[in-house]
Amino acid sequence: MKLQVSAELCRGHGRCYTVAPDLLEDDEDEGFVTIRGQIIDVPEDQVDFARNAAGSCPERAITLIE
Amino acid sequence: MTSTAAGEQATVPDRVPSGCPVIHLDASPALEVGSHWEKANELRESSPAFFNTHAQGYWVFTRYDEVREMYQHPEIFSSESITPWDPEPAYRFVPTQIDPPDHAKYRQLISRWFAPNAVARIAPQAHEIGRRLVGDLAPRGECDFVTDFAMRLPTEIFLTIIGVPHSDADLFVPWVEDFFAGFGGDLEQQQAMGAALGGIRQYWVDVLEARRGETAPRDNDFVSLLMHSTVDDAPLGDDLILDILTVLVLAGLDTTRGQLGYLFRHLAENPDDRHRLIAEPELIPSAVEESLRLYTIIFGDGRKVAQDTEFHGCPLSKGDMVYGLVSGANRDPRVYDRPDEFIVDRKSNNHLGFAGGPHRCLGAHLARMVMQVAVEEWLKVIPDFEVASEAPLMERGGGAMMTLLSLPLSWEVPA
Repeated sequence: MKLQVSAELCRGHGRCYTVAPDLLEDDEDEGFVTIRGQIIDVPEDQVDFARNAAGSCPERAITLIE
Repeated sequence: MTSTAAGEQATVPDRVPSGCPVIHLDASPALEVGSHWEKANELRESSPAFFNTHAQGYWVFTRYDEVREMYQHPEIFSSESITPWDPEPAYRFVPTQIDPPDHAKYRQLISRWFAPNAVARIAPQAHEIGRRLVGDLAPRGECDFVTDFAMRLPTEIFLTIIGVPHSDADLFVPWVEDFFAGFGGDLEQQQAMGAALGGIRQYWVDVLEARRGETAPRDNDFVSLLMHSTVDDAPLGDDLILDILTVLVLAGLDTTRGQLGYLFRHLAENPDDRHRLIAEPELIPSAVEESLRLYTIIFGDGRKVAQDTEFHGCPLSKGDMVYGLVSGANRDPRVYDRPDEFIVDRKSNNHLGFAGGPHRCLGAHLARMVMQVAVEEWLKVIPDFEVASEAPLMERGGGAMMTLLSLPLSWEVPA
């Protein structure tokens, strides 16, 4: 699975790195997820967290690619 | 909530399509707790869109997707007015009512100060404040949670993060109370509201004066930072700084108080959830999130149409007002399983309680931290408590932000 964060839609709600702390992190400055505008691989043991992160985003900024 | 015609009523414009139901809804009166969410549920399930003849008349969108879309398209839905019954407000909140692209310049000045990192920096002090307030109340065995705790805690923590003495909460608590008594539309309270605004502004004038002429910004001092900031290479100026500080006070304190009241009413009435949070405190953040969804204090949020457009079958004209029913969206069964239940460990909770799009609540990270501190510190000292009122609890109407007007709680004091 891959996870993609839209740079245009992400507004720094911070829900994704809160519910998936071992997969995603905040930029320590403005509170955006560090991988805004990027695609990352999701390790096997993080798949449920990735789903929760995507589902928790009020902007629907996170896309999962299975 | 009145659905009958009362007072001035707008006529229905010819362009409202025949399939679009017309209502007359004034959500501003105080009602028994829960009434506003019930009304939102009823509206959402009967139609995705309405035309409301309240005030000058405005469109209402009731479902999650439409409300999110409204937030995400500021080029169509301007924040020039955010109160649909008042399209030409006399005030201008910065950055709340500034549209992109200028909006980002002002927001960036403030947003770093309320980012997760900045909030984490003051978390130890926030816990200390929470412990002190709970410690003072515990021996009493009872309190009005809304006035004695829920207003006091966010105020003291807010003043701490700004970098002024938290003991000045003694000044801010009555000012914020007086402001919102008048803001809800009570004409008898207008003078007190004006006096409160004057008090808040003068407080910040004095803070500015105390920092005047300093060559470098003070550490951990938000007002000092603003005085040394520029937008488009020009200093902000006192008036803009005062506007920003006033908006933060009005947007940040009453709202957190409102959310805390509903969360603690839930905990008082649902011992299973309370005991679960005591046994598994790591669930407190998700319980806080669930209370923001289920018990949202934002009945709806307004925007002003900036260009003629067709939106889900409604022909919107430039200058029209729209109202996104956030309380309808947050319980939309198209998005949430068991939407009317409080699920402590709910997954995929993407509620719009902090809005969305460019105006997403700037203080969201701070508000979450304050609420988590409240639950954690309270439950450690007062694990069992109940609502001590025979009469039904009342909530302020949805004209501004909703809050319980009073929440009497009682608990046993160990001998």
